[in-house]
Amino acid sequence: MNISRRQLLVGMGAAPLLARAQKRPMRPKIAAVVTVYFKYSHAQHIVDRFLEGYGWNSTHHRPAMDLVSLYVDQVGGNDLSRDRAARFPTMKIYPTIAEALTCGGSKLAVEGVVLVGEHGKYPRNEKGQTRYPRYEFFQQIVEVFRSSNRAVPLFNDKHLSWNWDYAREMCDTSRRMKFPFMAGSSLPVTWRTPSLEMPLGSRIREAMCVGYGGVDSYDFHALETIQCMVERRKGGETGVKWLQAYRGEKFWQAYQEGVWPKDLVEAALCRSHTLTPSRKGFNNDFPSFDDMRRLVKNPVAYRYEHADGLMSTMLLMNGLVEDFNFAASLEGRSEPFSTQMYLPMPPRRTSLANFFTPLVNNMETMFLTGKPTYPVERTLLTTGLTAAGVESLYRDQVRYDTPHLAVPYRPTEESTFWRT
Amino acid sequence: MRSPQSTTPPKRIAVVTTVYRYLSHAQHIADRFLVGYPVNGKWHRPNMKIVSLYVDQKPEGDQSAERAQEFEFQVYPTIPEALRCGGGKLAVDAVLIIGEHGNYPTNEKGQILYPRYEFFRQCVEVFEKDGRAVPVYNDKHLSYSFEKARWMVDASKRLNFPMLAGSSLPVTWRLPDIDLPFNCEIQSALMVGVGGSDSMDFHALEGLQCMVERRKGGETGVKAVQMIEGDAVWKAGEEGHWSKELLTAALSRSDSPQGWTIIDGRTQDLVGNNELPKLVKNPASYFIEYRDGMRTTLLILNGAVKDFTFAARVKGMPGIQSTQFLLTPTPNVTYSACLVSKIEEMFESGRAPYPVERTLLVSGVLESILTSRIQEHERLETPHLGVQYQAPSRSQYPRA
Repeated sequence: MNISRRQLLVGMGAAPLLARAQKRPMRPKIAAVVTVYFKYSHAQHIVDRFLEGYGWNSTHHRPAMDLVSLYVDQVGGNDLSRDRAARFPTMKIYPTIAEALTCGGSKLAVEGVVLVGEHGKYPRNEKGQTRYPRYEFFQQIVEVFRSSNRAVPLFNDKHLSWNWDYAREMCDTSRRMKFPFMAGSSLPVTWRTPSLEMPLGSRIREAMCVGYGGVDSYDFHALETIQCMVERRKGGETGVKWLQAYRGEKFWQAYQEGVWPKDLVEAALCRSHTLTPSRKGFNNDFPSFDDMRRLVKNPVAYRYEHADGLMSTMLLMNGLVEDFNFAASLEGRSEPFSTQMYLPMPPRRTSLANFFTPLVNNMETMFLTGKPTYPVERTLLTTGLTAAGVESLYRDQVRYDTPHLAVPYRPTEESTFWRT
Repeated sequence: MRSPQSTTPPKRIAVVTTVYRYLSHAQHIADRFLVGYPVNGKWHRPNMKIVSLYVDQKPEGDQSAERAQEFEFQVYPTIPEALRCGGGKLAVDAVLIIGEHGNYPTNEKGQILYPRYEFFRQCVEVFEKDGRAVPVYNDKHLSYSFEKARWMVDASKRLNFPMLAGSSLPVTWRLPDIDLPFNCEIQSALMVGVGGSDSMDFHALEGLQCMVERRKGGETGVKAVQMIEGDAVWKAGEEGHWSKELLTAALSRSDSPQGWTIIDGRTQDLVGNNELPKLVKNPASYFIEYRDGMRTTLLILNGAVKDFTFAARVKGMPGIQSTQFLLTPTPNVTYSACLVSKIEEMFESGRAPYPVERTLLVSGVLESILTSRIQEHERLETPHLGVQYQAPSRSQYPRA
């Protein structure tokens, strides 16, 4: 994205409480705070793009900012951070988060922070959630903001926390301290095949994502896939009233009983590029219900109702697909609206996880303008939905009321997915 | 999910192919007529029925007999019998010719002598004898020989039957979803491809052609071609015979840089970091000069990337236009579903959605390029390649 100087100044004006924002240098300094840095880890995908640049709009784009400091929580045998620091002497590694943010001094010395708390060895709780220390890192970051009496834009990769209260507190803190805060998955910002956007103000009847992966990990990506589309509906997002998870036999029973619309599952599957053939010798056929049962060993569904009555369903169908496909039924449209959020996942299909490219580009825009390109409330809500899904599964797949997920917000009018 | 069944009787299709086994072109194209395919977010079942099959070779893994049994069609020992379904007259409404894969000889230029022309000619003979001609789709290039390819297209004009051919690259998804503006003025264009010559380079050339044919004045044909290989390719880049900026733009769309990216995952500016000569052991550059003065380049960069990307400078548009032709993963190869929807469109409507002349020109360019290769990489004038045509203004790849 090209940011003109005028936009840059306007953006700064829109965040007046960023202390001395008008003095922000034309090449902002950025700190990265990550759990671990190895090949194909999120930190590698993200930080490397700041250091090495990346393909964007027909050039090898080099961000107009310097990633000058790095904190890595766990350094294993496969670590690449030391190699990167050696190759990019402008980036220094610091032993604590505070030192990374102050670049070894006493005051905040950067104009933006990237927090990547994905991968690494962290304890799992009894519900199966990995306790990635995003909240703890965040707290240490804002402690430097407080002590320096200056706060700067912060991007948090993936969901805010495994813990809803922590996530809520992170958002509240950013609002109280008035710093731009953005978070989430690359699913909302990656290519789509086809390249379609939900028309703003659509009347959506039902929404569906068929994806793959595990609970407390890829479920979050599938939920963000749904959310970046349904938030554009008439009235905007209203929050979620309840969620029910289904797994194993209960999933198949619910599928057969039509708990979620089968036509939307079928529409989503028809956007997949990775539909497992149901018959030997055929490369691309459409599975019957019995085929799905045979191919998908441990299916998971989260079905939930938004405060305005919209029903959304997320299916994880490992063994059937390896991509994220969205479908929705819209008023005034006889056929479902559907597309795929395209993840060129290495190493089998590609060598670069280029869905991180638009994610980093959105971060850059926030760092340059002081304005998030999409609302953090999206990720606050999907963080809560992920935790609610885990909770429902933990409570034997009961319907789980979510009065705490009254998170209303408005989407950006402009599309923020990769189209250029 | 079923598409609503039409009340009109299904169109009857004959398949004429070299081999029919798992993941062959015949299998993934013809099967879509048997079991349906995804298009526009629906599982579409064509109102068409394969009624006959001719298969030239039955190697291990041949599926023709099991398909015939399951889907109740006949395998015939000759092409005329397949087209007449064993009777005395043409008994089908359309023909699919898929002459890809199989064991066929290779000539001195490295071209595999797939018998597409020979298959097609037999179909035409049936059409002529029986006094009726039906639409024909020919997979990939028309023939290894331009003369034969020309004969094929001329026959379709003479007998007035719709004909479509070519690769799935022009009709697959693009990242980003861009087409060059219709009637634009192209200043320069470059394609990056990978794979072997006389196979994957055909796909790359069709990808390139489907973009540049949209230029002002339409396609005018090709005046001369040249292929260079090895270090001469890098030297030509230094001397400005191809544009490093266009190459940077094309590679900016790649999801598959090799070398350092494989080693430690890093992103790379493959032009700026001078890694290309280390990664690409035998680069090739195909130079194409068109009759209206436009020049294009195809760079085959095996070892550097594994995908197909395009870049062009267009008069009046800022910067460089670039995109990736998305080749979706095996086994679904959903790009072939995009192609089948175009084939079905022609079978249904009797009109080819894009001109067969594109594939005629590309067939001829490829043949002459391979001649240049064995004639000491000389520039070859191609007076026979005055293939003129108008591209459809409407984009033909999936956007909905």
